[in-house]
Amino acid sequence: MVKIMSIKNNKSIKVKDVMLPISEIPVVYSDAILKDALEKMSAYKIGIVCVVDQKNKFVGLITDGDIRRMLLTVQKPLSALFMEDVLDHISTSPTYVDPELSIDNATKLIGKKLVWDLPVVSKNMSLLGLFHLHKALEFYLKN
Amino acid sequence: MTTHKKIISVGYDSVNPIKIGPRLPLVFIGGPCAIETYDHSMFMAENIQKICEDLKIQWIFKSCYDKDCRSSPNSFHGVGLDHGLNILSKIRKEFGVPVVSDFSDVNDGNYIGEVCDLVQVPAYLCRQTSILKAAAKTKRPIHLKKGQFMSPWNMKNSVKKLEANGCDQILLTERGTFFGYNMLINDFTSLPIMNKTGYPVCYDATHSIQLPTSMGSISGGQREFIPALVRAAVALGINALFMEVHDNPSKALSDSNTVLDIKYLKLILSQAIEIHNVYLDLMERYGEDNVHQK
Repeated sequence: MVKIMSIKNNKSIKVKDVMLPISEIPVVYSDAILKDALEKMSAYKIGIVCVVDQKNKFVGLITDGDIRRMLLTVQKPLSALFMEDVLDHISTSPTYVDPELSIDNATKLIGKKLVWDLPVVSKNMSLLGLFHLHKALEFYLKN
Repeated sequence: MTTHKKIISVGYDSVNPIKIGPRLPLVFIGGPCAIETYDHSMFMAENIQKICEDLKIQWIFKSCYDKDCRSSPNSFHGVGLDHGLNILSKIRKEFGVPVVSDFSDVNDGNYIGEVCDLVQVPAYLCRQTSILKAAAKTKRPIHLKKGQFMSPWNMKNSVKKLEANGCDQILLTERGTFFGYNMLINDFTSLPIMNKTGYPVCYDATHSIQLPTSMGSISGGQREFIPALVRAAVALGINALFMEVHDNPSKALSDSNTVLDIKYLKLILSQAIEIHNVYLDLMERYGEDNVHQK
């Protein structure tokens, strides 16, 4: 996994100030099946689901883009795909950010990585929330 | 993801545990479909034991005390819980062999585990929460048969029900899949799919050739396919082989059209053992299958 730390952070606004908290993002435990992950994405209307272990340690993520690309290659019945373990489909090296990273750096990272969301993960790998592009935009429009 | 492959252990007290799992010898599970009489059960156990000793294959005696899924009200329903468990208890003591029976009444769950080394959940009941919960409560390893109506990937739900009730010793068995009415087909992809749960898998060769209720009020079967299907299933890498055997199939009180005549048992098991040994050798020399979809 690639962890991006703040380097030239002169701004006082940090990722933790604008991130979506865990209660507002799709999260599943690592023993979930793919159907659980899809339901969570739909319920929260966010195209990314974070996978955590029983101690809330961040394990990985699946995006709706991952699912879309998979549907173009996988040949098995949809009912079989639904039953697969999320662990079989998580990104093995997702980018995530530290809660202390500045919003500027986090937004630049979103642009660089061409993603909409970045999981926010503490130093001990606990999932804290999601840095979401809409939230960043909201902040910049207001300021 | 590589699922951790589990080994289950069948046998307690005076019966030496038999290990079933990856890279282990093939285990045979067999016996008459139903317990008919004490004498017949002992006769069958003695004769199967002789064959298995000759072939040096570990085995588990299977016979049921209650046949709750007969098509006809006039069909033999079984000797009953008390008498049946008493016979199974004597067989395990006499022959030192683990025994297995299925159960269809949740109340039986309080007793079956007191005798049986392996507790079987019938295919028709494989997704019944109450039965799975009762099975897990026995604290014995569970032989979970895939329903003829179930997809192999959906068996993970039944596994999770067992696990949620404290069971971590499960053997998953393929026994044919409904193909229209009164017809089963054998989809062997079910075996690696179910094995992906991490639990060992078994092939039930005698029920897989069944033609369910094709004879009006009883089931038919095409037992001539048993040897070929056994060879194919063993080559695929099953951990256990299940076959119901009888000394006089036409007079068997249950599944007379599918049980294997014991006179063929040695021949079929001999081939199964040889193929399994080749399979183990191939895995040792070439490693596990590693072809992926993507």
